[in-house]
Amino acid sequence: MAVYGGQKMTRLGLSAAIAAALVWVTAQSAHGADDPVRFNRDIRPILSDNCFQCHGPDAVRRKAELRLDLESGAKGANEAGPIVPGKPDESELFRRISSDDPEERMPPADSGKKLTPDAIKLLGRWIAEGATWEKHWAFIPPMRPAVPPVSRREWIRNPIDAFVLARLEALGLRPSPEADRTTLVRRVTLDLTGLPPAPAEVDAFTADDSPAAYERVVDRLLSSPRYGERMAAPWLNAARYADTSGYQDDGPRYMWRWRDWVIEAFNGNLPFDRFTIEQIAGDMLPGATLEERIASGFNRNHRTNAEGGIIPEEFAVEYVVDRVDTTATVWLGLTLGCARCHDHKFDPVSQQEFYRVFAFFNNVPEKGRAIKVGNSPPYMKAPTRDQQRQLAEIEQQLAAADDALARRDDELATCLAQWAGQFRPPGPIAWAPSLGLTAHFPFDQKAEETLAAAQCQTKGAVTFDTGVVRQAASFDGASHVNAGDVAKFGYFDKFTFSAWIDPANDTGTVLARMAEVPDADGYSVLLAKGQLQVNLVKRWLDDAVRVETEEPLAVGRWQHVAVTYDGSRAAQGVRIYVDGQERKLRVLLDELNQNFGNAEPLRIGGGGAQAAFTGLIDEVHVYQRDLAAGEISLLATRDPVESILGSAPEERTPQQAAKLRAFYLERHAPEHIRAARARIFELRDLKFKFEESFPTVMVMQEMPTPRETFLLERGQYDKPGEKVSPGVPASLHPLAPGVPQDRLAFARWLVDPANPLTARVAVNHFWQSYFGAGIVKTVDDFGAQGDAPSHPELLDWLAVEFMASGWDVKGLQKLIVTSATYRQSSQLTPERLERDPENRLLARGPRLRLPAEAIRDSALAASGLLVERVGGPSVKPYQPPGLWKELTGGGDFEQEHGEGLYRRSLYTFWKRTIAPPSMITFDASAREACSVRETRTNTPLQALALLNEVTFVEAARALAARVMREAGQPDERIALAFRLAASRPPSDNELSILGGSLVRHLRKFRRQPEDAAKLLKVGEAPADGRLDPCELAAYTAVANLILNLDEVITKE
Amino acid sequence: MDPRIECHWLTSRRQFFARSAAGIGAAALATLVCEEGAAFADAASRGGLPGFPQFTPKAKRVIYLFQSGAPSQIDLFDDKPKLKEFHASELPDSVRRGQRLTSMTSRQASFPIAASKFRFAQHGQCGAWLSEILPHTARVVDNLCFIKSMHTEAINHDPAITFFQTGAQLAGRPSIGAWISYGLGSESRELPAFVVMISQGTGNPGDQPLYDRLWGSGFLPSQYQGVKFRSIGDPVLNLSNPPGIDGPARRQMLDELGALNELKLKELGDPEIATRIAQYEMAFRMQKSVPELTDVSGEPEHVFEMYGPESRKPGTFAANCLLARRLCERGVRFVQLFHRGWDQHVHLPKQIALQASDTDQASAALVTDLKQRGLLDDTLVVWGGEFGRTVYCQGTLTAEDYGRDHHPRSFTIWLAGAGIKPGISYGETDDHSYNITRDPVHVHDLNATILSCLGIDHTRLTFKFQGRHHRLTDVHGKVVEGILA
Repeated sequence: MAVYGGQKMTRLGLSAAIAAALVWVTAQSAHGADDPVRFNRDIRPILSDNCFQCHGPDAVRRKAELRLDLESGAKGANEAGPIVPGKPDESELFRRISSDDPEERMPPADSGKKLTPDAIKLLGRWIAEGATWEKHWAFIPPMRPAVPPVSRREWIRNPIDAFVLARLEALGLRPSPEADRTTLVRRVTLDLTGLPPAPAEVDAFTADDSPAAYERVVDRLLSSPRYGERMAAPWLNAARYADTSGYQDDGPRYMWRWRDWVIEAFNGNLPFDRFTIEQIAGDMLPGATLEERIASGFNRNHRTNAEGGIIPEEFAVEYVVDRVDTTATVWLGLTLGCARCHDHKFDPVSQQEFYRVFAFFNNVPEKGRAIKVGNSPPYMKAPTRDQQRQLAEIEQQLAAADDALARRDDELATCLAQWAGQFRPPGPIAWAPSLGLTAHFPFDQKAEETLAAAQCQTKGAVTFDTGVVRQAASFDGASHVNAGDVAKFGYFDKFTFSAWIDPANDTGTVLARMAEVPDADGYSVLLAKGQLQVNLVKRWLDDAVRVETEEPLAVGRWQHVAVTYDGSRAAQGVRIYVDGQERKLRVLLDELNQNFGNAEPLRIGGGGAQAAFTGLIDEVHVYQRDLAAGEISLLATRDPVESILGSAPEERTPQQAAKLRAFYLERHAPEHIRAARARIFELRDLKFKFEESFPTVMVMQEMPTPRETFLLERGQYDKPGEKVSPGVPASLHPLAPGVPQDRLAFARWLVDPANPLTARVAVNHFWQSYFGAGIVKTVDDFGAQGDAPSHPELLDWLAVEFMASGWDVKGLQKLIVTSATYRQSSQLTPERLERDPENRLLARGPRLRLPAEAIRDSALAASGLLVERVGGPSVKPYQPPGLWKELTGGGDFEQEHGEGLYRRSLYTFWKRTIAPPSMITFDASAREACSVRETRTNTPLQALALLNEVTFVEAARALAARVMREAGQPDERIALAFRLAASRPPSDNELSILGGSLVRHLRKFRRQPEDAAKLLKVGEAPADGRLDPCELAAYTAVANLILNLDEVITKE
Repeated sequence: MDPRIECHWLTSRRQFFARSAAGIGAAALATLVCEEGAAFADAASRGGLPGFPQFTPKAKRVIYLFQSGAPSQIDLFDDKPKLKEFHASELPDSVRRGQRLTSMTSRQASFPIAASKFRFAQHGQCGAWLSEILPHTARVVDNLCFIKSMHTEAINHDPAITFFQTGAQLAGRPSIGAWISYGLGSESRELPAFVVMISQGTGNPGDQPLYDRLWGSGFLPSQYQGVKFRSIGDPVLNLSNPPGIDGPARRQMLDELGALNELKLKELGDPEIATRIAQYEMAFRMQKSVPELTDVSGEPEHVFEMYGPESRKPGTFAANCLLARRLCERGVRFVQLFHRGWDQHVHLPKQIALQASDTDQASAALVTDLKQRGLLDDTLVVWGGEFGRTVYCQGTLTAEDYGRDHHPRSFTIWLAGAGIKPGISYGETDDHSYNITRDPVHVHDLNATILSCLGIDHTRLTFKFQGRHHRLTDVHGKVVEGILA
């Protein structure tokens, strides 16, 4: 969108506008000559905007040691301050602001600030009237104000109305009459569900003249699952929720389980205090449930940077800052972020206090450099409710299967003993567990492996010598076995390597899938000066995992080595076992960020640019799963099965006994026992694969030892100053005593009844979604620089009521939408417009263009295309081709087919750096940062989208087909289309314009039926072949027109 | 800014329509049409702020040729003959001064100096030194002003390019084009005030991505966003009528839509409805004007020759340069091209030569073309990337090959046209092109200077958001007087 010359205005319009603006300012402050000046309403805004920058809370920038944000500073002791109450002429402040001397005059010219004559006059009056001070209103806890008396008591439906009407009556204004019933049911349905009412719902309401009819509609809407979807939409903007990470390559992430938690929370009417605590610190609640932990994902929704070469410490700080900023904006309506680099210029928050709040959020075991594709730790598996149910079933079956085998324990022991006594092995048995085994290299006189068909080739002199089991391969430091395309693993795969090695010196590569050039990518297992080292590398130095054993391995003797990796992309996912014992590891690099999978062959005894292996290697096993310690122990038990069998049972070591038992169970146990065991493996595999399919979600988590937090000078990550402890600003209520001063305590502090801000801010957000603006218009700033509330007592009453109701969110919505204030007609008169262009006084109902998602959803709903299903992974509906590719050069957006095209817009995949264009065109937040303020523009790009975008043209086509099927005569069909979109029947005049349109289009399509055919191909929904194509095309054109009506995209 | 002006700005359009609401229709719509050529009257008459521009502007418009990925100043503009002597030797600590490096090279065992493998020569009357891979730029140097002492704060692409475009490293602030649209409004009644075009270079295909936020409106209303003109599909998203709906059918529909919306306007009196009617008309005009603009078939042969053969291929940098000139001719205020592919960590000599050949001829042609048409007198052209590149080699230094990492401490950009001294070089770096030795120019300074050329005091173009009067230059920025004509 852009500025277009079309929005011109005449000089005349300009002066009228200024005149109206002045009228409006007067209406807003509502003080006349007789009305005493009030500090919070009249004076603080002037001081804050013009003086606090140099004479405010910021100690570093404060000039002349003068502080005007505090009464003590302004008045001083014994009238020594710049303000002498009652005596403007003796007040230095007044002298300086009214001085004609440019050297003396405040604010100074170079500040760019200037007081208006009215402001100077007002300050003078205030001092003359005694310079009464008030604490900033937003920091005084709300008290339930008395409901004001009004004359037109019959208008009042609930206390909201009394507050609104009292103000109107004081200004000599009258509220508007109630909106007609059709308008009302459309308004409330759009507001509570984000979709227009169905014609039958409109009819039911207009036909029901009982006094409780409207309340019944409201109750029905509040219990619809659509309600949670509607309420979630603005919350997702606030929470900067998206499906990608947001910086540079902007790779995908998976947070939709958190999104679904929000929908569920609203639908289940989770009290707002719980809603808050779980999102801020659900992970820390005693015995936190899966859902509570998912909720804490709120503060992992911020952008994360995976760009190569970044300095991780720098971004680790940004993540925490984002959490503080977002939390403060969403719950406190404070711009705490302003105190990151210096004390806040306007509000009582010092820089040190900023970092004390920062400390609550600085304890997450996370890295500054994020994962490029997928979720960054900490994250958790977050099965859906369906998956949880299914998992419970599988677990039950598994327990039963375990139990079934356990019940055979005695029988098994007997059989085993009997078998061991009788079994005469035909020859040597080199056995290893077979589950997940993908390659086995016995190296018995040849390099071939026994499982895959891949051909091995030797490079250089590979010979065969006595090994652990028969022969082993012998390498001379210049040779290796090229095993071809086996063990093709990437960073999401689980795998295990197991081998016997007898190294002749302390350095050499055991195996690798890595080109033999410097800085190649891939993986390798090697001896580095004795230590066994594992490398998982995309790019050396900064995109790799490298771990090694703390203790060196022995040279010149056989030992068993095993490496497992769990697909977690982190160093902690690698384990190394030597002779069956897990070894302590040193983490040398833990910055794996991209897939290290490549097209290289697996090399044994070489690979990569490091030295090749010298010595013997035997019995290499490759598994495509990460074996557990017990299984590694079987592999590391050198004795072949036949020799264990040859020993007396009481002489067998536990390892030998375990190996014998495992071998027996796998190969020789009685059929029913092997079946019982197979059942367990089958279920374990099923469970494993099922769990693998679970979505994950990033969550908050506390490190066992809290990270230290320091004040950062000028906000810079590399300029730590004094150490700070977690805490809250002193100007607000204290944290609860006697509990750990941690994030959970902070979460509870947010919803402490003593908190003057949270309830006010929350009710203000809800208010904004109905009336287009909050009672405090600056919904994101309740500080000194924010706007004063239009109805302060109403705001306080609502806040107190909200808390007293047990933070009942649905209750609050019901209170608002059942008020007479909400139910007013939005009809404008020139007088109403002139008097109150922005409807701050609420002498009329709201008339607002719908939010972006509701515009698309309404078109889908009217057409019948909408697929309603709550939750699930995000979907990719139509998007013009190439949008991603032209900016990223990488993969393009892959549009879905079928249902994914018709889900509600809050499920649309949200790529932050290239957001869905039609959403942005209609003023959706880009989701890069927290956004709570609603904006509405009116641009030609919106017109182009509604006229031409596939979604809307296809919706018109489906709407046309629907009305052709559901109604008979042309005027009935047009009227039905109109009702489906606008909720009301068209007037005769409208009907005749639309009817004329239909006729003209039909005539044209009959003349050019090929055009009709083209139009009917827009979008992927199949056209109804039973309908006449020319007629359908003509109705499509009319439906397209209807979907473009201002009224259709408007709540009125 | 005076809150009353802000308030006025928010409400004025509604007021106008409120006054006209009684009889709005064709007559009222006619008054919405901008009178062409009323040069630099108050910007409020074009949807900008009252009182803007604040002083007589030198430039009416800007063409910003953003070179995304960060071109190496050492191989293009900042000739350092001494580097030949230092070649392959270790970067001295006295030069590096312990300054931070990206984590791509900070763990390198050594930092060998890589002299440019390209020859430099002096050109034009001004005697500017230029690399051999910029032969066309060499011919227009007398029109250019090189700033060799640019520096920035970010060391990685995303924050750095975001910083250049919005004055902040993190997302959320308006882009420079959005600020200018907000301040000055539009000169065109059928095209947006701020247009963006993208091209992909051949030097490093598929490298550094771009982001919508680079031309986004941040906390400003979304109408100030840059409109992306595309080379595939519709030049502007959703510009074409759906298949099967032709021009006359659309006109018919818009007339009927207008009539229906007017009925509602009469009934309710909401000025937003009048605005919506006007926006549909504007959309209709764009459907005609944008294809006319992007249809270059009427350009004479010599123009294509001047811009080079690539200028015939839609979506190339050269084709976009030609479109930029056409947009300027039609009054578009801020045209920004983004050319990708300058991120040369490895194989720099080969890659940068390709990048240079993508951009050299067309950039020079644009300057020449604007000059020939008299447009350079009131158009400001800017050419540059988000930071510079290191003098030390990233990866393996060989006789023929080297790479360079990110270097925010010094780099070169050039400007030309309205308000700028031609044929000068401003600022200097040390012998390693590593530290600035004279006249540093910060990103905020550059942005302040661009605004100044447009007649805007950068400290006065503000918007109140979350309690602060925000501006493009945050609380910084000094106009670089030394380069102003």
